Amino acid sequence: MRGLASRPNTMIVLGLAIASVALAARDPVWTDTWVIVGVYVLIALSTGISYGQAGILSMSQGAFAAIGGYAAAVSTLRFKLPPGVDLLIAAVLPALLAYGLARLVTRLTPLATALATLALGSVIEIALRNMDDITGGYIGLAGIPGIGMIDSPLKYCVLVWAMICVCVLMYENLVNSPFGRALNVIRHDRMRAQADGVNVPQLLSAAFAFSAAMAGSAGWLYAHYISYISPNSLDTHTSISALLMTVVGGSGIILGPLAGTVFLDVLVRHLPAQELQGMFYGGALILILILAPTGLLGLVPALLVKFGANRGLRGATKAAAVKPEAAQ
Amino acid sequence: MRRLVSLVLSAVAAAMLSSGALSAEAVKIGVVLSLSGPAAVFGIPERDAIQAAMEKLKADGKLKRGIELVVYDDKTNPTEATRMVTQAINNDKAVAIIGPGTGGNILAAGPLALRMQVPLLGPAGTMAITDRKNEFYPWVFRVAPSDRVDVKVILEDMAKSKAKKIGVFFQEDAYGKTGVDFAKEIGPALGMEVVETVSAPYAATDLTAQATRLRNAGVDAVFLQVSISSLGASFVKAAKQVGLTAPAYTNAGLAQRSFAESVGSDVDGLRVLSIGNLPYDPSEGEAELAKLLKQAGKVPQGWGELVGTNGLMTVVAAVNAQGDKEITGTSMRDAIEGLCGYQAFARGKPCFSKDSHDGWAEDSLVITELRNKELRTMR
Amino acid sequence: MYVLTEYVVRGVQAGSIYGLLALPMSLLFATAGTIDFAVGAYALLAAAVATIVAGPLGIAFGLAAAITAAAAMGGIFLILARTGTKDHIVFALASFGLAVAIASYILWQFGTQAFVRASFSRFWSLGGIRISPQGVINLGLGVLVTLLLYLLLYWSDLGRMMRAAAANPRGAELAGIPVARIQFGTYLAGGLLGGLAGIMILYSAGLDFTASLSLTLSGFGAAIIFGIASPLRCLVGGIAMGVAEALAAGYTSGMVTAMVPFLFVLIVLSLSNIRGGAMAGDRP
Repeated sequence: MRGLASRPNTMIVLGLAIASVALAARDPVWTDTWVIVGVYVLIALSTGISYGQAGILSMSQGAFAAIGGYAAAVSTLRFKLPPGVDLLIAAVLPALLAYGLARLVTRLTPLATALATLALGSVIEIALRNMDDITGGYIGLAGIPGIGMIDSPLKYCVLVWAMICVCVLMYENLVNSPFGRALNVIRHDRMRAQADGVNVPQLLSAAFAFSAAMAGSAGWLYAHYISYISPNSLDTHTSISALLMTVVGGSGIILGPLAGTVFLDVLVRHLPAQELQGMFYGGALILILILAPTGLLGLVPALLVKFGANRGLRGATKAAAVKPEAAQ
Repeated sequence: MRRLVSLVLSAVAAAMLSSGALSAEAVKIGVVLSLSGPAAVFGIPERDAIQAAMEKLKADGKLKRGIELVVYDDKTNPTEATRMVTQAINNDKAVAIIGPGTGGNILAAGPLALRMQVPLLGPAGTMAITDRKNEFYPWVFRVAPSDRVDVKVILEDMAKSKAKKIGVFFQEDAYGKTGVDFAKEIGPALGMEVVETVSAPYAATDLTAQATRLRNAGVDAVFLQVSISSLGASFVKAAKQVGLTAPAYTNAGLAQRSFAESVGSDVDGLRVLSIGNLPYDPSEGEAELAKLLKQAGKVPQGWGELVGTNGLMTVVAAVNAQGDKEITGTSMRDAIEGLCGYQAFARGKPCFSKDSHDGWAEDSLVITELRNKELRTMR
Repeated sequence: MYVLTEYVVRGVQAGSIYGLLALPMSLLFATAGTIDFAVGAYALLAAAVATIVAGPLGIAFGLAAAITAAAAMGGIFLILARTGTKDHIVFALASFGLAVAIASYILWQFGTQAFVRASFSRFWSLGGIRISPQGVINLGLGVLVTLLLYLLLYWSDLGRMMRAAAANPRGAELAGIPVARIQFGTYLAGGLLGGLAGIMILYSAGLDFTASLSLTLSGFGAAIIFGIASPLRCLVGGIAMGVAEALAAGYTSGMVTAMVPFLFVLIVLSLSNIRGGAMAGDRP
């Protein structure tokens, strides 16, 4: 059982979480914003796992989060389940769906897989808004109860950032585990992985399912926090935003999605509002893609080298994996 | 004697206000509307009218104390709506919020209104927002006629033509679905049965199949529950193309200038329910609002401006009713519940009470007919 | 049977628009290995501009606007390619950013109005089924464009270069073919075709500022049915999707009709074994 010292990403995010929640606690608007940002970070992290580990560029994480949210809503509103139990359902249900899809499409090119996930996400969205009896149809479900003792925005803030730390820990463990190493090999030479005896489709699908479970748990928290969920709450736009945040932050890097989410959210808050928002959002994305294609955090190793530091961050950077000597 | 005292007091108050002293009396009102996204079609006129009317009220000195508006965009998204409402209440200390712009967003913001004790005045027809079962019921008010009232009025008009079998075309969202469900519920009492329903998403590129299905069902009349004018115009075109000749009645969602202008003259006679008739046949109050909009360089679009200003006038009436007392969210809520028959630009008599948070009813609606790219009010 | 035929006819008319949206998808995928998310936005832009400027001049301006936007995307593509991005997804994402920007620009500049134009008020009757001349024009244009594309690809030098670039970009470059320029040109073609589709929609069903992403997705669905890398089958793919949607609208519920393009994508992808290039999770 290695200590935290060999898990730099978890340490960093733990420190960030504590500092940021303490800061956000000073103002109700910041607290509220930080909870929502936390939800998006979770969804972006799940996109990062799916892409960075399984190579599946997922445009359906929003739909998985929506399933998680609706699962939470229906379990607590209709079946009156106790608060923590619905987290299980919210995580498992999307995972099952994701596993199923992944088994079907893992043989395709990355672009085709991405579009398959987009199609799946859209189908889920359409289904959710038509199942009136269960999901409340287009109106959605209001009055979702809270999570037991968690009854103030600050407590939700602490909860979501604790969840983020746990997820980063799991991500880091995954990367350093045999599974993570196997995924690494798959990413670089599938045939070699198969020759090694790795069951490639099963492993990739498991990684995708894991990411879906993470997105589902983000949806669970969202539903309880806002206490309302509708087809518009977590939809294709959320999936695409999560994807942008991941790519902007650096998809191959564990903390990349986190950086991307925080950066883009800040950007969006300070733009001249209303109709022009989309123009700046799209333009900013293009700029970032041109100037920093490996993501914002992808610039970090280059900057570190520039300033003489020799340690690379231990993480799933593709570059690091390709150059074995930098892996330590 | 009392009169003299109150005269002196109001003179003092006026002096305080006009001296520009930063009185604790000025109140902030949040305006959280959909200024981007699909509901922007209504949100933008709502905001424009609120701002134009506010200017006029200030200029005329009709306000007994300072009212400041803070405007936010909820992007037709429930998450954004909650964020903006939180900002308006916490940062700007708003004592009431006009908005959010859509039913779903109001449902999302309801728990916030309850927790922070600030009333929401929603310009939306979605039934669920004033459902008594909502825990946040005491804090949400509706400043437009509800969807149920709308559907009832237009179906009653349809019944006059002795139609027995009706077909419904609805858009795939909350507004469309609610209309269809109500039509199925209310129709039989009026002697009409919904025999076929077809739907389409906002961006459908071809509606001829849907129109064909309604035609094949042999309907006597067609009910359109649509609020996206391009969708409505598409359907009308498709109906003409496939030979669906049954008379069409549409709900207030399409009572918009962009619909009237984009649909050709070959649908003259289309009945459109509208909340007042601001752009084409205004009542006295509506004409006044139209003038204000023109002065602000805006063209009246439909009824968005009316429901937006309904919210504003409710707020103003509530603020005025509280005189010089300290105003909080709770006091605003109590004041609104006591309002009945106050001035607004829209038709009809607005009335709220503790038991009824739906302020506007049938008397604010009119049946219009589309002729020559305009909506003519039917008497 | 008659009812069924009528739905099929309606579907064929509508499908030609999907075919035109699918063509740029397929062409670009063949030559550059990526897709252009902004095709729907080009269509919307052309329709918006053609609404403001009346008549044939409006159509010309609309197409010009669409091509200009596509040129911007092409430029972005070239810049990104120059920075050495190996990931095709990045180009697709950049095009998504442009699509979002264009849609927002249209909302800002043109407002929330509907973009629709009346075309013909008379209708022709084909065996008792009323069809609009506009629908026939749409189909005719689709066929014409496909024909021209066939001639271009198989009978001209440019076409030969495009096919070479598609088959083997490295080899083509070594042979002196300006691959990057061809890819840029393909983006421009995407603008033209997308713009044309937009004009066709303008004169048929009409659209508004929310339409861009769903048009792109419909185009992709149509492109993928018969093989995304073969542009000439796009029209047929579009018609197939149009017919499927019409039949779904006629016989099933709104929910199923809405799902048609996506189910197409899912079914085709899970049944196929596209082996063109790397598989998901493979070495770049």
